[in-house]
Amino acid sequence: MLVKNKNWKWIIIFMLPLAAMYITFFIYPFGFVFVSSLMKWNGISPMEFIGFQNYAKLFRATTLQISVRNNVIWALSLGFLQIGLATIIAFILARRPRFWKSLRTVYFIPKVISGVAIAMLWKAVYNAEYGALNAVLSLITGQEWSHNWLGEFATALPAIIAQEVMYIGYFMIIILAGVMSIPTSYYEAAEIDGASVWQQETLITLPVVWGIIVTAMTLAMAYGLRHFEATFLMTGGGPGHSTSTLALMMYDKIGARKLGQASTIGTILVIVGFIVIVTLNQTLGRKSLTGEDQ
Amino acid sequence: MKRLRTIVIEVFKWTYLLFFFAIAVLPLLWLILTSFKTEAEFNTAPLAMPEFWQFENYINAVSVANMHVLFMNSIIIATTATLLNLLVTSLASFVVSREEFAFKQTISNVIVAGVLMPIVAFMVPYLAIIRNLGLYDTRMALIVTYAAINIPISFFLIKSFMVNIPKDLEDAAIIDGCTFAQRYTKVVLPLSRSGLVTAGTLTFIWSWNEFIYALLLTSSSSVRTIQLGISFFTTQFRSDYPSMYAAVVLTMIPSIIVYVFFHDKIISGLTAGAVKG
Repeated sequence: MLVKNKNWKWIIIFMLPLAAMYITFFIYPFGFVFVSSLMKWNGISPMEFIGFQNYAKLFRATTLQISVRNNVIWALSLGFLQIGLATIIAFILARRPRFWKSLRTVYFIPKVISGVAIAMLWKAVYNAEYGALNAVLSLITGQEWSHNWLGEFATALPAIIAQEVMYIGYFMIIILAGVMSIPTSYYEAAEIDGASVWQQETLITLPVVWGIIVTAMTLAMAYGLRHFEATFLMTGGGPGHSTSTLALMMYDKIGARKLGQASTIGTILVIVGFIVIVTLNQTLGRKSLTGEDQ
Repeated sequence: MKRLRTIVIEVFKWTYLLFFFAIAVLPLLWLILTSFKTEAEFNTAPLAMPEFWQFENYINAVSVANMHVLFMNSIIIATTATLLNLLVTSLASFVVSREEFAFKQTISNVIVAGVLMPIVAFMVPYLAIIRNLGLYDTRMALIVTYAAINIPISFFLIKSFMVNIPKDLEDAAIIDGCTFAQRYTKVVLPLSRSGLVTAGTLTFIWSWNEFIYALLLTSSSSVRTIQLGISFFTTQFRSDYPSMYAAVVLTMIPSIIVYVFFHDKIISGLTAGAVKG
């Protein structure tokens, strides 16, 4: 008990700064976003309670349907495709092939560079006139390629998702750490019993690190649901609204001074994110997400 | 037969590894090469090596984009946010890892669970909070926000580190007459240096790269961060794209330097949470 500890005054003093910041930036916003989602509010005049009208209005908007669809595509691409690709790399690197440490370091480089710089980079790669992608494709196929990858309805969304999915560095590192923590004796024993590499990976590695893979999938899906930056910078949601996401819509609502509606989208983001985290952990396996024993 | 199979597997394995190596490196190299080209070359031969290396692009970049202001703001904001974050989280981690009190475990779990919060969803609340604090469009707005957003991860890393420091050391210090605060400053903090560096590196890189809240919480060019600055480059540079890419390359350098020196810390910091579970 706090009162039983003779240092209780110190404990309060030491906890106070963190408590103040945590309450201001995590707990209060959590309540605020819910409450203001029920309000008509332009950010200047006082809030006006309107019940669930913001929700009703939003659910009728076509942009919302497009955004939700895109967010689902994002979540699935990151959660399954990216994690799948990252898992294979992690399994290969865990067997310590030549240069594995250098490879691990290099794969992670794009993740330390800012999302803005990466977006500028891929905007240049995808450009119709001077982009590297068209030039490479022309070189390989011998035909003239002049796709405007980010400007065409059919290619814009896949193009933005592809550049993000292929940067596997972050999740690869998390999964790799899990695989490397498996004692080598397991594999030695399997080797003696005549298990092939494929059998070792599917029967030993995969079950042992399954919890970590599920954690990675959960995080990746959560990122997909709250995606904002690359799309905002590369297409701004266009062409039309074809690449819009919920977070992008929310930002547009703030720009239009519809803060109540923006909060409504914020609330949807929080709830959907929570549902994804809980369902994935319930269906695919139980694992504390923070690595804390609970 | 078995030999052939091993060869096929080896080929497949290395193709796979090299493909992702290429994805991570080639676009970056292409951007760097492009940043040394003349505009004419850039338009006609996107894949060729620069015929004459245009170092002027970098001089243009610095003068057109007001790079010194952008860099200065980013350095001030990322450094101060990191220090504030470390101060706040190390104080709390110290108490949570060294003292017994009611609801300690619950408080600790709630703080760490913050990593799961979709921070993007808090655009409206953060805008309101920052306005009410009178911090809108100041560097302080971003300093406080960045320090706060990184509390869960830093707290987790520093606390995991402090828990493992032997209690005996502190007991000895108490006998020598150390006060509560001195146990923090003279015993536990110096011994947690490695954990602090890991948490600090992650917070610094995150803050240096942050874009969304820089966009939302500041508006004037005098407090603009480098990342926000980049997003205005397209209009600033008109059609001088090679110079623009030179500016983009310049903004990448600090993150890459930090990564070169601290990649072990970064990798161990990111994996700490995953493996322990």
